[in-house]
Amino acid sequence: MDIDTQTEVEPHTTSQGDIENGEDWVRLVSNDGFSFLVRRKVANMSGTIGNSLDPSSSYAESETKTYHATNDRGIIVQKLIEYMSFKAHYSKAKGDVPINELMERIPPEIVLEVLLAADYHEL
Amino acid sequence: MSHNNVRGPTSALTEFLRASGITPSTVARRATQNQSVPGPSNTSGEPPSVDETSITRRTSKRGRRARSGRAGGYASDELDELESPPKKSKIVESQGKGKGNSIKRKKKATKKGDDDEYEDEDEDAYNALSKSMWANPGPYSKPAIGSFEQCAKCEKQFTVTRYTIVTADGTGSLCHPCAKSSGTDPFKKSAVRKRKQPTEKRKVVYFEEKRFPSLVSVCIDIISEYIDDIEAFGDVGAMNTEAISKAIAKNRRLTPDNAHLFYGAHHTLLTFYDATKLSTPSLITLAQLNPNLTSLRLDLCGQISDDVMDSWKTTLPNVTSLELLGPYLVRAPAWIAFFENHKPLESFLITQSPRFNLECMKALVASSATTLRRLGLREIGHMCDEFLEHIGSCKSLLHLDVSEPTNSCTDIAVNTLLSNIGPTLTKLNLSNHSLLTDAVLEFGVAESTHQLSDLVLRALPLLTDEGVSKFFSGWSNHPLSYVNFSRNPDLLSSSLSSLLHHSRSHLQVLDINGLKDVELSALKMIANCPELTSIDLGWCRAVDDFVLKQILEGCTKLTEVKVWGCNKVEGKWISAGIRTSARIVGIEGHTTH
Repeated sequence: MDIDTQTEVEPHTTSQGDIENGEDWVRLVSNDGFSFLVRRKVANMSGTIGNSLDPSSSYAESETKTYHATNDRGIIVQKLIEYMSFKAHYSKAKGDVPINELMERIPPEIVLEVLLAADYHEL
Repeated sequence: MSHNNVRGPTSALTEFLRASGITPSTVARRATQNQSVPGPSNTSGEPPSVDETSITRRTSKRGRRARSGRAGGYASDELDELESPPKKSKIVESQGKGKGNSIKRKKKATKKGDDDEYEDEDEDAYNALSKSMWANPGPYSKPAIGSFEQCAKCEKQFTVTRYTIVTADGTGSLCHPCAKSSGTDPFKKSAVRKRKQPTEKRKVVYFEEKRFPSLVSVCIDIISEYIDDIEAFGDVGAMNTEAISKAIAKNRRLTPDNAHLFYGAHHTLLTFYDATKLSTPSLITLAQLNPNLTSLRLDLCGQISDDVMDSWKTTLPNVTSLELLGPYLVRAPAWIAFFENHKPLESFLITQSPRFNLECMKALVASSATTLRRLGLREIGHMCDEFLEHIGSCKSLLHLDVSEPTNSCTDIAVNTLLSNIGPTLTKLNLSNHSLLTDAVLEFGVAESTHQLSDLVLRALPLLTDEGVSKFFSGWSNHPLSYVNFSRNPDLLSSSLSSLLHHSRSHLQVLDINGLKDVELSALKMIANCPELTSIDLGWCRAVDDFVLKQILEGCTKLTEVKVWGCNKVEGKWISAGIRTSARIVGIEGHTTH
């Protein structure tokens, strides 16, 4: 499942400038095989993911531009990405953060799993 | 005014009028149309210019409010200024009209006949007072500054200044002597400045609130919201309760409400890493809802009081292990009552309890001397040699921590204690007993202990390099796995090399923070510790990239290396291609590592 299907930019053809601006694409893979393509600047909202995808590090993740969330299933990774997009959008904006909108999107059945995943991913 | 669109807050009335198409300009136009006789109002009283200035300069409380109202931009105020097409005299007139019933009434009295028609028409016209006028209903308005006026009391003539005061009934102005004698201070400063302070305070809070909410805190909010419906979270037991507890504690979000997530009659272990917000009643509830606990650990449990301990002695009958960080409100009688009425403890570890005194210690020993395996009395203000005498009767102790006292115990007391309980001890912490010397190592630890795996001798300033190296070279104990000799700046290379020589094969955690003069030759020996997982090399001045590279290569199980204050470390091994899974913290040049 690709959350961002309109991507036409191949990860390999991105320019250096795109990487610096966080406009290139990285892949996040859940432990049950769902893969999500997100902008690097969104992925960087998580300290853990951002560090392991950091181009200046020599981790395998940064070379393949793929981060494996080995502890989390697809629905959890999706919620993490929803929050990261939310944060990427609103952390620079002025005014109130509509945090209620986000709260409504996390069903209580998975909130504990999301909590643990968020703690691990420094979100 | 008409050339910009800036508008301040408006009253409900203004809002309503605007919605029904009544605006200041239409009103003004109607008013000018309706006035068949423009002259009279001008002839009635004071010159309008004076009136106008007197209104804007009013210094009474009401006037101030009026001015601020004007600054706030009430749209109805525009009545006074708007409407360019009519001539100035007309504007003045409409002002005069708006400005008050007073003038109007005067008019009524003087030229009734003339005004009758005008008045009647006015009944229909929009003649609501402008905001600035509301505040000024009195029949008398203060004259302009600099003009002459008769005092309402002594009837002398005086010059009006900005400090001139209007009489209480609003019928005239008072001269300065009369104003003073009437008890009001004409120079009294306005209360406006005082009112400003609360807004400044509010600003500080504003900055704190600006932080972006983390996903963890959002999740905790959701948990709190659904806490009454715990089934909604699915099977909590299957989840890693410990990890959830840590994640919540990390954000200091454990509250009496969401603590219920971790409660259950079948639970035997309970650990809260940050119980700061658990109030006294909720701590009593905790025990009542977890009656089968055998082990309880509460960190930062500052709100534990006598009442809680009184309740726990009956509601937690099975607890044998109690670990509390910061139970400083509990008084000695409550501790004693708890020990006397509770079954013997196997594990009792408390930190920071200044009221835990010798009587408590006696009560603890009286109840649990034979069962106690782990005893931790850390940062206990009353710690002294007598404490150690009583601890000496706990013959089956495995783990003893009496570190960080207010006043140090003495060599003799410690040696006596170790001769009593030393043979079984596996963990010993004597940190920060500033009077202990090499004699404790030589005649206490070396002679009495044979099973130690953890040794913490932090901040013992009287230890010498010779004493420590002699101790390790002659000690029959098996190799240690956990060693902390930090904050002992007088220990040199020979201490470290004899320590490594003794414990090299089993050493897992090594803390030599602050051993400033240890040399390279000894530091290089650390690379020969195959089991090492964590090391603190802080403030060891000789540590450089080459030593660190050797250590990283030699100790493959390393997960954490601390090099705070090691100025020579620059992290060059990274570019040299050394791969390590260890987390290296404290490199001066890398703020993020």
